[in-house]
Order: sequence, then C-alpha cells, then structure tokens
Amino acid sequence: MAKKKHIFTPVSEKEVTRAIVDSFARQFIEYVESDCLIIGGGPSGLMAGRDIALKGVKTLIVERNNYIGGGFWIGGYLMNKVTVREPAQKVLEELGIPYEKAVKGLYVADGPHACSKLIAAACDAGVKFANMTIFDDVVLREGNRVCGAVVNWTPVNALPREITCVDPIALEAKFVVDSTGHDACVVKKLEERGILKTVGFGAMWVDQSEDLVVEHTGEAHPGLIVTGMAVATTYGLPRMGPTFGAMLLSGRKGAQVILQKMKKK
Amino acid sequence: MNDFIRPIPSVIDLYEEGDLGNLNIFKIGEYLEEEMHIPFRLRGNIYKRSSKKRREGVSIELARIKVKDPGKRFVSEVPLHGEVDYEKRRISDSHWKIFGILYEGVFYQEIVSNLIFKQRIDLNRCIILFTNQLFGTWDRVTHRYHARVSLYGFPNLISLPGLVEAPAKPKAFYLKKQMGTPVEWLKEEYREMFLDHGDSRMTEVLKGYAMQALLFHLTGDPFCADRDCRLFNSHWQEEVLHSQMDGKYEFCPRHEKILKGLRERR
Repeated sequence: MAKKKHIFTPVSEKEVTRAIVDSFARQFIEYVESDCLIIGGGPSGLMAGRDIALKGVKTLIVERNNYIGGGFWIGGYLMNKVTVREPAQKVLEELGIPYEKAVKGLYVADGPHACSKLIAAACDAGVKFANMTIFDDVVLREGNRVCGAVVNWTPVNALPREITCVDPIALEAKFVVDSTGHDACVVKKLEERGILKTVGFGAMWVDQSEDLVVEHTGEAHPGLIVTGMAVATTYGLPRMGPTFGAMLLSGRKGAQVILQKMKKK
Repeated sequence: MNDFIRPIPSVIDLYEEGDLGNLNIFKIGEYLEEEMHIPFRLRGNIYKRSSKKRREGVSIELARIKVKDPGKRFVSEVPLHGEVDYEKRRISDSHWKIFGILYEGVFYQEIVSNLIFKQRIDLNRCIILFTNQLFGTWDRVTHRYHARVSLYGFPNLISLPGLVEAPAKPKAFYLKKQMGTPVEWLKEEYREMFLDHGDSRMTEVLKGYAMQALLFHLTGDPFCADRDCRLFNSHWQEEVLHSQMDGKYEFCPRHEKILKGLRERR
C-alpha cells in the first residue's frame, strides 16, 4: 500500500516555538528603539504610521487589544458601516477601499473592508506592531521631552497586582504619538505629572468637530504628537460621533508634523 | 428705552473676522446709512492692522477664553501650545473658515475692544464686528452658557454661525433628529424655516441685527417686543425669519418714531 503523502511539511512543536520566539525577539530588540512610537492602533494611529513608514521612518504601533483597528471595524450602534465626509473619501480611494455616496458630501464603506485595508496598508508600508501591549507611562528626558513609553502585557495589567507583580519595560523613540482615542492615555499621563492639563471632550457636534480635530492635530508637548479623538480630549473640542474622516486626516496631518520635525532635526 | 441718549456717532465702522461667505457687508452699511443718515466705512479684517507681536499676544488671549464645558462657569486657564498655535493660524488668515469653538463672549468683546480702541472707547464711532466665530454668554437662569447671535457694546459683535446655531430650529426638527432622521434630510425638509451656514438670506437678516447694534450704541436698548419689528429679540429661527424678512413693517410705529427723532438730532 502506497504511503499517504502529507499536505504540509513535517515540523516539530519545538521548531514552531523557536520560530515564534526568535522572530518576535529579533523584531522586538530592533524596535526597542524606533523613530516613532505610536500608542493606539486605531484609524488615526494606523494612518499616521502608514504615512511615515512609507517615507522610511522606523515605526512601531503599540495596541492594547489583540486586534488592530480600534473602532474602525464598526460604525455607530454596532453597525459595521463606516462613514466619512468629503474630502476623506480620497483616502479611501488611495487605500483601495470601496465606498458609496450616502448624500452629498457623505460616503459609506464597509467597516471590515475599510479597516482591514488600512491595517494592510500600514503593514505594507513597514509599520510593526506590538499588540496585547498596554501603555503604562511615558519616558521623559531633559525639558520633560517625551521620548518613549513604558509598556506591559495587557493581561498582566488586567490582573490584580497581588497575582501579577510584573514590572513593565520601556521603549524609546524620537517621537511618541498619542492616538488612544477619547482616553488620550499619554496626554493624561502627562497631566498626572502636572505637565499638561486637559479638559475632556465637549458635546457631540459632528459638523464642526472634524475640522477642529484636524486643525488641532500636532505636537501638544515636546516629543508628543496627538492625533484622532485624543486631540478632542486634549483641547476640549466637541465630540465627533460615528464619522471617521477626521481620524484618517488627523493621522495624515500627524504624520506630516512628524516628517517636518524629523527633517528639521 | 432709556431716557439717556448718547451723541450720534459720526461714522459706523464695519469690521470682519474670518471668511464670511456670501455676506454683503457693503449692503448692510448702505442700509444703516439710509436708515440713520450716518456714513459707514468698511474696515476689513479686524486683525490686519495689528503687528505680528500683537497678534501673538491676541492668540494667547483668545486661547484662554474658550468655554470648554458650557454647563460650568468659565475659568481662564493657561492655554496649551497647540491651542495658541491654532489661534495664531486662525487670526493670521483672513479667509479662515473653521469654527466650532465657543468663546466667552464678554472676554471676546474685551479683546476686540482693545484691538480697536487705543486707550479710551471712542463713542464717536459705532463699531460692528461681523465674525465667523461662535461666542456665548452665561445664562443666570439656566446656569449654562448659550451661543449668541450678537453681543452689543463697544464694540458690537455679530456672529454668523451664532445666527445659525443660537436661535432654536423648529421643534419637529429636533424630534425627528432624535428619532434618527439624517440632518441632511431635515435640512432639506425645513429649509424655509431656519437659516443654515452660507444661507443667501444672511445679508438681509443681519441688516436688522446691525440696526439693533446701532440702537444699542445710541440708547443702550436695542430690542423691541413687537415680533413684526426688525428690533425684535428672536429666540427661534422662525421668529428671526419673520421679524427680519416677513414682518408687517420695517420697524414698529414706536421705534419708527424713535429712529426719526434720532435722525433729526444729527
């Protein structure tokens, strides 16, 4: 009787483990120091990361969840359609995301399609990810310049300290981006230290908040760029609602600010 | 109406802030001149005569007077670098379109006043600033900030987005919006019942508000209780459109008489 051929090449368990550890460790060692460390892998962080990585900037995105994409998978009220207002549909076109016109100036795309394409675009551009990794603190240097982040595994952070007393580790970067959404975790950490003061976001006003978020995107503190909804929290701007155009354009503007500052350096 | 009447100003100075869309300030000036026989001057952008250093100072002042929580009394705070930078860019660009920040109206007025009057307020000039920014004042009854169309004083401020956002739209608009009807559809359905940004009726409507400003300058009392009079203090969009566009007369008989008296004093 002829021996049945395997579909897959036989590999032992230990080799699988070695491959994971080795690949992870090599990448992690390389990215312990990067040009740009983005905290939060939602649409604005992904967009910023994608744009700067395309220009050869060494970029690591830290994401507390297992999945990347933040709220971009889902529109409002658990419905997986995402909307963007003109001119953000041009970004959808650029990323190859199909969309349709809802009313004049408003476009709708499938959340899963839009989000997966954006993640893929960031990966293709060369962005690396540390998912299941939670931001814990900032690394500060002379003049309180932000130049890194202290992180830990998300599950470690989620358990009571009595069970998991695991110290975090630090990552260094020339620039840190706070794209953690309404939480504005990095900015809040600076606030805890008395370096910055935020006020939280105001009431929802879709019409105006998108413009304001993009216009306020930039360096909020030396070394710290703020993008996306973290901008609204930092500057007390109106809440945005289920539209994503400003997330994409804010990420893009954040990238422009970083590239400009890197050029000056 | 106060018994006290200030001297008639020799000129009405009309200033602008930001992109005012299709608003025709010249026509408003002509209207005031025709009604009150006081000449007007178009003074252009409010910041254009300020030096770079002065504008930087004003940027910091403006960044300090943002009302971030309309439900709480305003507290001035040290602004963030990003907020000052935003203001700097905004006031340096006479075509700036973006708005949405609610400024503390009284402080806003003070900043503008310091830009216009070198030392003392000059009552010989009636100043009206048309702005594309939004300001509000604290309401002692409701204990919260409310956006305003106008803030009369020295100078007078009139806000274009305030004209859209401050007077309430028809009740049905809000009910349907709450039920989930897209705003774009509602705007289409109720188009005739409220003003929207860039509305072609703005110039006509703001003639009445400019007259209120001038009357405040002259008498300290800009309003009328008659909803057919252009000096009516409207709280609803329908009232705005009625008093400014479809009222029985330009001014009620009482105000017509007062304005005639003022004209004759000149």
